[in-house]
Amino acid sequence: MDEKFDCIIVGAGVAGLAAAMILARNNLKFLLIEKGDFPGSKNVSGGVLWGSDLAKLVPNYWDEDAGWDRFINHRRLTFMDNQSAFSVDFKSSHFNETPYTGVVVLRSKFDRWLAGKVQEAIDASEYAMDSFIAPNILVEEILMENGNAVGIRTGEDRFYSDSVIIAEGVNNLLTRQVGLQDTYVPADHILTGIKEIIRFDERVLEDRFQLNGRSGMSNEFVGFSTDGVEGGGFLYTNKNTISLGLVLGLKDLREKEKAPYDILNTFKQHPVISDMIRGGEVVEYSAHVVSSGDKRIIPKRLCKGGLLVCGEAANLLMNSGKAIQGMDYAMRSGILAAEAIVNAKKTSDFGEASMQRYQAALEDSYIMKDINNFQDAVHLLHDPVMTQKVPNLLCDFGRNFFSIKNEPTRKARQMLGESVKKYSSYWELMKVGVKGAKAL
Amino acid sequence: MKLLTLSEQLGLISYRNQAKSEIKPHIMVDTGICNSVCPHKCTTYVCPAKCYTMDEQGMVHFQVEDCIECGTCMYACDQGAISWEFPDPEIGRGVTWNYG
Repeated sequence: MDEKFDCIIVGAGVAGLAAAMILARNNLKFLLIEKGDFPGSKNVSGGVLWGSDLAKLVPNYWDEDAGWDRFINHRRLTFMDNQSAFSVDFKSSHFNETPYTGVVVLRSKFDRWLAGKVQEAIDASEYAMDSFIAPNILVEEILMENGNAVGIRTGEDRFYSDSVIIAEGVNNLLTRQVGLQDTYVPADHILTGIKEIIRFDERVLEDRFQLNGRSGMSNEFVGFSTDGVEGGGFLYTNKNTISLGLVLGLKDLREKEKAPYDILNTFKQHPVISDMIRGGEVVEYSAHVVSSGDKRIIPKRLCKGGLLVCGEAANLLMNSGKAIQGMDYAMRSGILAAEAIVNAKKTSDFGEASMQRYQAALEDSYIMKDINNFQDAVHLLHDPVMTQKVPNLLCDFGRNFFSIKNEPTRKARQMLGESVKKYSSYWELMKVGVKGAKAL
Repeated sequence: MKLLTLSEQLGLISYRNQAKSEIKPHIMVDTGICNSVCPHKCTTYVCPAKCYTMDEQGMVHFQVEDCIECGTCMYACDQGAISWEFPDPEIGRGVTWNYG
């Protein structure tokens, strides 16, 4: 492989694969490098892929019995204290229509499947014999000349290209190496995600979570689930397993001196969770850090001459309270990065000004618009009033409201007032309420 | 449902190059820093794979074999004790997820 590629993509996760698909379709010659044994083998997510961009990459993917696990038509947000769970629950057959607006995926399976689709696109392109997906290669350095990326180095081997897309994920060592992110990133806007994959008989899973065919449920948890640490819990139904886990603010974890696996076990023992997972068998335990969605961790510049950064390498992830979005941001930013490369190839201009088209497209996309618009929501979700006091008072109110005691019943307003006073105050809630109304 | 201990949880993970007796560690920890100036020694509890342990004398020790490449320690350590790389595919350790 002496000749030069149009583009080298580092990392075959969602962002890298999305970029590769666009490059293959536009007949560019590229090299997609993955450090794992196969695409997806190093990747962990919650994980729901929100939105409908997947249909752009794999039209009619819903006709296939491979790759993705279930589509989401049932959402639930649960507030917890140590004994109770108070949920907002929404299920609608409206979400049964394709293109789906969210699918649950397991990355080791999904990314590998998507890589197969990219290979098909390569095979159909003009560079069927010259573009490659290359696993088991660790990129150690981005080669720069006069401020422009000109290739990569792995061990003693060098590969050259007109452009490089960094899609290496949140532990973005290469992004730091080229100076787009500080060498040391502090724990402030980083969370540690940990989860278990729990297997069930498929019939048991369908009955327990009221699933029909390939429909699925996503459930997020706030409150007791994290044992006083910032963050939340999640449960997603896969085909015959569930993903049950937590995301825990790393700085808070450090300060409160808690171990993530201990919190996960406490969460699993909560009566409501233990009823959900009864009879299941843990088949995998995993962990990975994620960024919080706080804008302060996103690099100000995501390009240089011949160089673009996308997906979690650019810390594009956000939990606004409505959903944890990361994989959809990766997919869209990968598409936008590849489109900028396709355009650069047309004009034979890979200079920084040309690459800035990507940055502009990203700013103009729903990704940066949402990240900019929902910063208050991100901060609110890390406010202890929201993560601790609100769940406690809601559960206290729920317990009173739903208790029938054969004695004169107080009005709901009075009960709510008592719960508010017990765990918080009207003033504190009003502040959070105003913030919340503004944020969402 | 029976809870798993951390070693049972880690026992479910497929690590790379398990047959190799010697591997090249992808994380280097200067435990001298942990054991002299670090006020919290937080890696001993935040690491999801408990690669960092504390002995009875309160000294921090590190082993790379159980590392699942999550990245937690790289951010949690604010003392500059950790140098973090990805494992070499041929001679390093690290994970291959079955589900992910």
